[in-house]
Amino acid sequence: MEQSVPELMARLDSLEASLSMATTINSEVFYWWCTALMLAIHAGFLAYEMGASRAKNALASGMKNLIAFAFLVPTFYYVGWWIYLAFPTGFTISDGSEAGLPWSEYMGPNLTDNASGIFYAAFTLFAATTASIMSGSVIERIRISGFTILAIFLGSVVWILGASWGWHPDGWLTTEWGLHDVGAAGAVHTVAGFFTLGVLINLGPRIGRFNADGSVNNIDGHNMPMSLIGLMLIVMGFFGFLGGCIIYTGDTWMTIYNTPATLSAFAFNTLMGVAGGMIGAYLVTRDPFWMMSGALIGVISSAPALDLYYPGLAFLVSFGGGCVMPKLNDILVEKFKIDDAVGAVAVHGFGGVWGLVMAGIFASGYPNVAGPEISFVGQLSSAVVFMILGFAPGYVLSLVLKVVGLLRVSENAELAGLDKAEVPASAYPESSVPAAFTNDPTSPTPAE
Amino acid sequence: MNTAPLTTWEGAEAYFTFADKPALLVLFTLVGIGVCVWTIASMARHESKAYKDM
Repeated sequence: MEQSVPELMARLDSLEASLSMATTINSEVFYWWCTALMLAIHAGFLAYEMGASRAKNALASGMKNLIAFAFLVPTFYYVGWWIYLAFPTGFTISDGSEAGLPWSEYMGPNLTDNASGIFYAAFTLFAATTASIMSGSVIERIRISGFTILAIFLGSVVWILGASWGWHPDGWLTTEWGLHDVGAAGAVHTVAGFFTLGVLINLGPRIGRFNADGSVNNIDGHNMPMSLIGLMLIVMGFFGFLGGCIIYTGDTWMTIYNTPATLSAFAFNTLMGVAGGMIGAYLVTRDPFWMMSGALIGVISSAPALDLYYPGLAFLVSFGGGCVMPKLNDILVEKFKIDDAVGAVAVHGFGGVWGLVMAGIFASGYPNVAGPEISFVGQLSSAVVFMILGFAPGYVLSLVLKVVGLLRVSENAELAGLDKAEVPASAYPESSVPAAFTNDPTSPTPAE
Repeated sequence: MNTAPLTTWEGAEAYFTFADKPALLVLFTLVGIGVCVWTIASMARHESKAYKDM
């Protein structure tokens, strides 16, 4: 039966509307599951921090991690999303940013907006990841209250300002200097790593970490297998994290800078990066904790140009990162007496810088949509901005907390164990933890 | 209490509770921030007392 032109047009309009809605729903579903997968990062941080703590501090370390996550969700809602929309050009507020204010009509259920909620959720998990990077470094001596304040500031203010500058299609680091950092090595990892460095300087080392002559004592965590499983969970969660770094448009994928890309590119290079980092860190340390930290180093090393690298090159870039970062951690500990309990400054801070600079060398010349092409100078300069953006507020805020007595636990509490001091629960009430690792103050740990 | 910002789903956009009352949304935000600040202060007091009691 023949149909009239108006009938065919009506059917065509209907099909187009259906296709558009399917695209919208697919996009929502994609980021929904990326967000869910990113929760594995937090399960991983939880496990590896608790495992890296002595038994007497296991629950306090875990609570610290969890409470930071809980506070980051609302605080990122209150200010974080607005900061991202407001400051891509620097410190002046951009038009349209009011859509990110918590009383905006877009910051809640809205039948005309399928994007804000799902992107807020994904960015909130990025924020929580950023704060968790600091969390492991400061275990066993930081006050949970002070840590929570630092985590909120890092996760809901500092990193997202960096993201607005350099992980945004209109961010000035991209439009002015050609920064390319699709996997947020700078905005997330460098900023968090250097924020952590600023905090560690004021926080000081754990009791027993360094001897009077400056020599270093190892303070082993009570459960290395738990830490390894945690690190593997973080690697798994990174597939959600990096999936959330690519924009789904329905008929193609784009990077956050609006350059074309494929999810296949991310798959190639994420896996090759993980492997390269693990092999490199194993080669130079033989240490299982560092081998798995090498997986993170590998992801971070290749993150800025996941969309561009030849996978064999990503493997080598990440292998190099895996070889170098453990040595940088050794320098921080042995020469500068920085007690970074999990090596986060090296893994994330310097790992992010490594990744940005490597992209400046090996992805140089690729065009950007807005701004100059990728260059070594642009990548290096942007890395310096991220380092300063992280370090300065981390140092200043932790100094203020130190002055008002909110940064570090008392010496008695540290020696007895934070679980006994402030947690109304016991991690291992009926198990046979070796005496050296219990919270019995009469049984000093090996490092004490 | 009628919290709905709409009386029909026809043409509905922002439909969350109190979407048509921005002053209340600001109030909820301020109270939420207050809850966060109060809880952190409570956390700090708990810690200080715990260290003192040791």
